[in-house]
Amino acid sequence: MASSSTISIHEVADHLAGIVGLDHVRVEDNVVTVSPEDTQQISAVLAFAGKNRLTICPLGGSTKLHWGGRVVPDIYISLARLNRVVEHPWQDLTCTVQAGCTWSKLQQSLVAHGQFVALDPLFQSRATVGGILSTNDSGVLRQRYGSLRDLVIGMTLVLPDGTIARTGGKVVKNVAGYDLSKLLTGSLGTLAIITEANFRLHSLPRHERSFTVLAQRASPLESLLAAIRASHLLVQSLQLRSLGTQFSLDVKLNAHPESHQEDLLMEMVQQDGLLLEDAPEEIWSARETLFSSGSTILRISTLPTQLCAYADYLQTRHSEVEITSVSQAIGLHSIALRGSPEEIASVIQKLRADVEYPAVTVAVLNPGSGVDVPAFHISPATLSLMKAVKDQFDPDNILSPGKYFAGKQ
Amino acid sequence: MQQSLTPAILSELRRIVGERGLITAPNQLQTYECDGLTAFRIPPSAVLLPETTEQVQSILRLCHRERIPFVARGAGTGLSGGALPAEGSVVIALSRMNRILNIDLPNQQVTVQPGVINANVTAAVAPQGYFYAPDPSSQTVCSIGGNIAENAGGAHCLKYGFTVTHVLEMTVVLPNGDIVILGGKTPDTSGYDLAGVFIGSEGTLGVATEMTLRIMRRPETIQVILAAFDAISSAAQSVSDVIASGQLPAAMEIMDRLSIEAAEISVHPSYPVCEALLLIELDGPEAEVNLQMASVIEICKRNGAWETRLAIDESARFLVWKGRKAAFAAAGRLSPNYIVQDGVIPRTSLPMVLEKLNAMAAEERLRVTNVFHAGDGNLHPIILYNRENPGEEERAIDLSLRILDVCVEAGGSITGEHGVGREKQCSMSYMFSDPDLETMQRVRRAFDTLNLANPDKLFPTPRLCGERTRGAYAPHPLESSGIAEIF
Repeated sequence: MASSSTISIHEVADHLAGIVGLDHVRVEDNVVTVSPEDTQQISAVLAFAGKNRLTICPLGGSTKLHWGGRVVPDIYISLARLNRVVEHPWQDLTCTVQAGCTWSKLQQSLVAHGQFVALDPLFQSRATVGGILSTNDSGVLRQRYGSLRDLVIGMTLVLPDGTIARTGGKVVKNVAGYDLSKLLTGSLGTLAIITEANFRLHSLPRHERSFTVLAQRASPLESLLAAIRASHLLVQSLQLRSLGTQFSLDVKLNAHPESHQEDLLMEMVQQDGLLLEDAPEEIWSARETLFSSGSTILRISTLPTQLCAYADYLQTRHSEVEITSVSQAIGLHSIALRGSPEEIASVIQKLRADVEYPAVTVAVLNPGSGVDVPAFHISPATLSLMKAVKDQFDPDNILSPGKYFAGKQ
Repeated sequence: MQQSLTPAILSELRRIVGERGLITAPNQLQTYECDGLTAFRIPPSAVLLPETTEQVQSILRLCHRERIPFVARGAGTGLSGGALPAEGSVVIALSRMNRILNIDLPNQQVTVQPGVINANVTAAVAPQGYFYAPDPSSQTVCSIGGNIAENAGGAHCLKYGFTVTHVLEMTVVLPNGDIVILGGKTPDTSGYDLAGVFIGSEGTLGVATEMTLRIMRRPETIQVILAAFDAISSAAQSVSDVIASGQLPAAMEIMDRLSIEAAEISVHPSYPVCEALLLIELDGPEAEVNLQMASVIEICKRNGAWETRLAIDESARFLVWKGRKAAFAAAGRLSPNYIVQDGVIPRTSLPMVLEKLNAMAAEERLRVTNVFHAGDGNLHPIILYNRENPGEEERAIDLSLRILDVCVEAGGSITGEHGVGREKQCSMSYMFSDPDLETMQRVRRAFDTLNLANPDKLFPTPRLCGERTRGAYAPHPLESSGIAEIF
């Protein structure tokens, strides 16, 4: 066992089989994986683990398990059997879904009424609702609809001591009590296990049309980007991609053809002496391609107006590694680094201590093999408050130890 | 039983905020003994008027050392008693921290102090074509700090979201005096979303002393349609049909007959006399809005609207909104006293809930008038009563709380935007189970180990709520013996 628990792995497996049934317990490489069928069983597993100081990781589609640091726990709790869309009161524009449901399955069910959760996370056919919430993943739809914190309206949680708690509710507007859904979103499975979530929904957009504008560097696109931001265009997505020797600014408009927004966009592009081209839908999966590349992946945040300058800066300043970037216009950059582990680690350190861009935050989502750097760079004051929260929820540090806080030795 | 501060503590406080920043005279303290929920009054031990984050920090360090509870206060317009002082507490009034510190138009961000009035944020950026989206009805007087405490909404949050959507970064002084930055001016700062849980925590987790807000581009055009119906259910059906058609209006509001009459007496908006008035605001690029508006009008007519009025220019829109925004104040024209409630229900249960609510009101022989943020199911029933009639106030309060129970039973919430505060803390145990509430308390303890920040609010306490369960209400022994009162 990874932890200092005195109980043997087979005793653990036997006990857990008593909770979830023999068919739903698996032992592999000295780690037990259990697949409970509901929130109550998860509570019972957690209570047992808590009592025996066994470490736990929740398991969804395993697409982002390494985000924030790879952890090998004593027990994986798989949410695979909690995979139902519980309800979809479409006239209320809300839904309730179990945490193990994949994003694709959820969206396929909502589309029956022309609705969706307005978020495009990575690896939708495998990634689960719970995993996406835990990692706070978001894609290009964020420009228009916001991130998960703007879309999740309630949750059911199980704490490490087995406590089952609900937070928020099924209505969009609700200020009763603390909004723990926000606290849990992005907590990387370190506070509680999410077993169910309620979302607010949007109607599927109609009349989408994608365009792209190319330039040799990112900076020549900056004034166009500023003009689009200050315009009245109905922009659904806006991203900047590095493409080897050039950059592409991608725009998706979402306006009725009769409103002639393409013409307005065309004028703005021409004013900057650039060329507007129609673009295929695939350009919007650039982020996913980046994450599939097996490279070291960073998430860097800058101010929106720094988008182009920073993208150029990365290419010129750190030529010792190969850098590919897909940046959302709000200032969120996904960066892939290729090079030797030492060079990559050194670049990450330099980015974090960069005096030219002191306010950027650099998170290492996928370190890549052999790259040894901390995943996050969080100020001591914030980290100490986070630790206080962690101690209240998980005083023995059994949930996803090693993520955000050092694991037990 | 007001606990007074020792001369030594008072002089230390005076050293922190200066003579001008300390109020101890009983007649001046009166101003601070309640907020917009005037039925509850407790005078504070002292009021402090800090001007800097460092002064707030020194005050909280002192409070922490001496175990003095504190209550932060903005403009005092809250409707749930959130700024009601605690017994023996000091009030930290942030009205002097009212400067706009930075305007960054290209990044669409404005940095302000907590005492800045909500409407002044928009006023500061309106000439350049931007606005700050959260628009609580009290926006011309309420402060940004208070908006953060309550996660304020408004008529337009259907489309634009609540305060939490629009606050990017905050400087927060924790109850032990430590200063932390929550959130960030750049997206997705690493770590827990502590800003997300702080906003809407009703002053129980610390004091925000500086905040960076997101501002938005003002839409190219705004159009409001006003539609008159013979039945609330037809107006409600129109709302559902608009949603089903895939449109997201900026606001959808319904007023019932009594509230229309009250608005007419009060501000003369010349509304059509009808059973239900539906107000729908669309905004965006002009060509797009024109197309959508045509479809909205069609939907209203199909559901029996016998009059539709379209308001496009600013003065016409102002007139249409005037009656709706004045709805609470206009209730004063109908009755000497009234209670405004703030329940939320799934939109589709509106007709059913209204029927129940009217039956309950009839049973109590009380008049209830309704205005709703219909798009998001936020009801504002206004219970009219006369305090002079013996027992009527108690019946009105009881009815208002039972209305919240109905909202919870329909799958909704006890509060959409006013907050729990003192008013609804006993209703929290109807909406949430003990483990739910205990889990929230864990967050509170992490931020505030000594329970000094706005104590006795938000959560049900045995002292105030007894072992209160709904149904047959059993008074707590302390209450029967007159030691504690229940509201």
